[in-house]
Amino acid sequence: MTREIQQKLRAEARNLLEKGKVDRVIGYGAGSLKFATTPLIISDKANADRLVVNPFIHNNLSVFLPDLCGKVAIVAKVCDARSIISLVQNKQIAREDVFIIGVPCSGIIDLAKVQKLTGLDRDEIGDMSWKGDKVAVTFAGGSKEFSAGEVLAGSCLGCDCSGFQEFDLVIGEIKTLAGGKDLSRNKIQEMEAMSPAQRWEFWKNEFSRCIRCYACRQLCPVCFCERCFVEETEPLWVSPLPKWQDNLIFQAVRMMHVAGRCTDCGECERACPANIPLGILTGKMEDIVEELFQYRAGMDKDAPPLMAAYQPEEAENLMR
Amino acid sequence: MTISDISHRKRYLAEGNVYLPHIAVIEKIIDETPAVKTFHFNFKDEKLRKEFTFESGQFGEYSILGTGEATFCISSSPTRRDDLECAVARVGRVTNALHRLGVGAEIGFRGPFGNSFPLDYMAGKNLVFVAGGIGLAPLHSLIWNVLDNRAKYGNIDIVYGARTPRDLCFKYDLEAWEKDSSVNMTTTVDREAPDWQGNVGFVPAVTEKVAPAAKNAVAIVCGPPIMIRFTFPVLEKLGFTPAQMITTLEKRMKCGIGKCGRCNIGEIYVCRDGPGFSYEQIKSFRSDEY
Amino acid sequence: MKKIKKQNAARLLEKWQKEFTVFVPSKASGVAQMAVWDGQDLAFLEHNRNTVIPPKANFLPSIQKMFGFRKEEGGYVLEPTDEDPPKQLLFGIHPCDARAIAIIDMVFKDAYEDRYYLSRRQNTVLVGMACTSPYDNCFCTSLGFGPADATDVDIMLTDIGDSFLIEEITDKGKEVLAGAKDVMAATPADEKKARAVKESAKARVSTKIDTDEIGKRLPLVFDDRKFWEEISAKCVSCGICTFLCPTCYCFDINDEMLRDGSGARYRNWDCCSFAVYTKMPTENPREDKWRRVRQKVYHKYAFYPELFGIIGCTGCGRCIRQCPVNWDITQTLNSLPAGTPTKKQETQKSS
Repeated sequence: MTREIQQKLRAEARNLLEKGKVDRVIGYGAGSLKFATTPLIISDKANADRLVVNPFIHNNLSVFLPDLCGKVAIVAKVCDARSIISLVQNKQIAREDVFIIGVPCSGIIDLAKVQKLTGLDRDEIGDMSWKGDKVAVTFAGGSKEFSAGEVLAGSCLGCDCSGFQEFDLVIGEIKTLAGGKDLSRNKIQEMEAMSPAQRWEFWKNEFSRCIRCYACRQLCPVCFCERCFVEETEPLWVSPLPKWQDNLIFQAVRMMHVAGRCTDCGECERACPANIPLGILTGKMEDIVEELFQYRAGMDKDAPPLMAAYQPEEAENLMR
Repeated sequence: MTISDISHRKRYLAEGNVYLPHIAVIEKIIDETPAVKTFHFNFKDEKLRKEFTFESGQFGEYSILGTGEATFCISSSPTRRDDLECAVARVGRVTNALHRLGVGAEIGFRGPFGNSFPLDYMAGKNLVFVAGGIGLAPLHSLIWNVLDNRAKYGNIDIVYGARTPRDLCFKYDLEAWEKDSSVNMTTTVDREAPDWQGNVGFVPAVTEKVAPAAKNAVAIVCGPPIMIRFTFPVLEKLGFTPAQMITTLEKRMKCGIGKCGRCNIGEIYVCRDGPGFSYEQIKSFRSDEY
Repeated sequence: MKKIKKQNAARLLEKWQKEFTVFVPSKASGVAQMAVWDGQDLAFLEHNRNTVIPPKANFLPSIQKMFGFRKEEGGYVLEPTDEDPPKQLLFGIHPCDARAIAIIDMVFKDAYEDRYYLSRRQNTVLVGMACTSPYDNCFCTSLGFGPADATDVDIMLTDIGDSFLIEEITDKGKEVLAGAKDVMAATPADEKKARAVKESAKARVSTKIDTDEIGKRLPLVFDDRKFWEEISAKCVSCGICTFLCPTCYCFDINDEMLRDGSGARYRNWDCCSFAVYTKMPTENPREDKWRRVRQKVYHKYAFYPELFGIIGCTGCGRCIRQCPVNWDITQTLNSLPAGTPTKKQETQKSS
């Protein structure tokens, strides 16, 4: 199945470049690590055969779009495509400069979760593959099966992109993962059940591991500010020192800044080398945005950016 | 010519912790331009005040405790040791905080760091000083150093320019140098300005007009990178070899002692190997990241 | 040589705990790093792979207080904090990470001694553990040593089944083993077993680079902008590879002030991947991403060897494993074009 899609994708990419319809194609290439792919930016049709599609196309490639000039075709899972549209909504890229190639996705297996469940490192795992609605993990001396809820990335569990209409081309069949939303909210519900003091303690513990590598920000497609507030020194909004308080402030402000343009794609959590569960924050924020404004970022390219538009019927009257 | 040829490396290998600043008190503040102030300061510790030595061209790390540290050269001459001076342009967090301080306020100082201008090499030669804007600060130290030992050197040309008359630093010293018959002083501003009777034109062009002779001369050029880039070719045209031209490079610095990493140009660390370099050295750098 | 039964290893750690703060590889905090031994966890005796946060953090923490200050009647008073850091023992450190510490020692000893780093270094005992399960992307054997190299530790342990073989490398190592009741003399059979374990570990390091060839090619490709632009295209300029690199030592210095006017100066890890790292008020010599990626590669493989005579990389593979876009330095190093010398390089060579 994926092999077929991969062949079709390569042919389409070759064709787009050959006909001069795009200047570049950005997709996934083979990674040097097990269970990894790597972003691949090509402008020569001879390189089209380096494109791959497999269950490990985890990166949200839209992060590269604002820096690429010319017309770009981009390989996108449906969640990534929402980020692309969010960039369009926020005037970071022009819709006509992007050619969105949709590829099917059965959910990204979260390697960190599998590692935690099995106690194995990446290179100690033999294989991970879908077996019906379960994920089979093999390793030296055995194998185990896990349910999707156990091993899928948090953002995949909440995947609900029905109604997304913006692909320029679809290879295979795009479907959103039905019935996963509740599972994705487990952690958020756990958090909501905590007292404020417990929650404070939880995040204090999590953010004490943050080393301020800013991978969350750098991987985030909608963290597109030319100058991030953490780099401002006059005034100094937040200390660059990696103390847990400042780490928490940094992330809280970042979350506020991306509210209404974040699509909960999960890249920030996946990138975090300190395993901080940022998906709890992005998921909760998406819920709040939806509840307060009935707004989902990246669904409608013509919808104005949430935080840049005011509707007279909004609940808050501070603008009136 | 190598780094060690051109520079006298006087290292401040103080006892103990080289990251601990010495507390100094601001004794006088001179408003040079709307954006530049010169701070005269002295160490609180009496022993240090007596024993502290430095050479023209060296720099220090200046602290506003609670705000941070920034790097500036020492703009006074070691021949005039009543106090130390640094001329500071207001450009960022630390310099803004420094500009808000008044006489009597305490600052921290670490240094002196880096190499110094090669006085031995310059002795007996004709000297050409070319500076732009706040780039006069390191040369201010050197020029007074040279003038206080006038007999050791040959002819002295000074070309100094700024964007407008208001942006000229050390106006009181420019006057003194103007009056000094042993100095050929040329001051210029970029554009015509009311009440300005002096030269008009960019520093490289004015240097070309002044046309100092290259024979047995050394040119010391300090200023914004763009000015330096255009002045070197002019001097070359006048017959100066790259080894006869010296400048100081400006880089973002934190530690001042070659550890924190950011001031490198290839394998060269400006804080540790510079900040003074001959144009010949600069030309030999593998990297153009300066 | 000596040995200790695995079941007695905990007693040895307990003995050391009386004199040292004992650090062991641990995942208890939520990320694998050297952590103070809790006296219970012994998982690292059986399963010991490279921590995510490198042990450099024990000498150059991600945030380190340099001194405190407060304002009194007569002016500022500084309160230095570098005096006498607690004695620490790092247990189970791998040869690559020990080599990395030896590499950054050079910077912190160079010209101006760095008291914060060196005082911690002097107060530390390194108990190494031969690495028996290198990752598939480790490449230490290409850098002049191997997963069982004992050069840079005080004591070296090798897992030989029910026991650890013990090699005393330095006087410091001998000292801390003196009087340890459970330590016995090793037999020739034990030593033979250890040799076999070490050999097999070495054979398992499968990723290779050719440092001689890299040394020849790097001087020729510095100005090959097209190559560096291509190589860096997928880099997102985060700090993961730098912060998790055991030999990256660059730091920033920042102050913190409390409302009462007292405060402290700290240093914290900094990173040449960040554009702000070199940013000056008017210009930035490494604004371009390709320049920053080039800087990273050259610092390790060209500048460091030129300054200190050793490559600033130990092949631990963290930068590859943790990179969110799978940027792989070995691929870059192995794909350096042969290149032709530029005019400038030719003149430099002949002069």
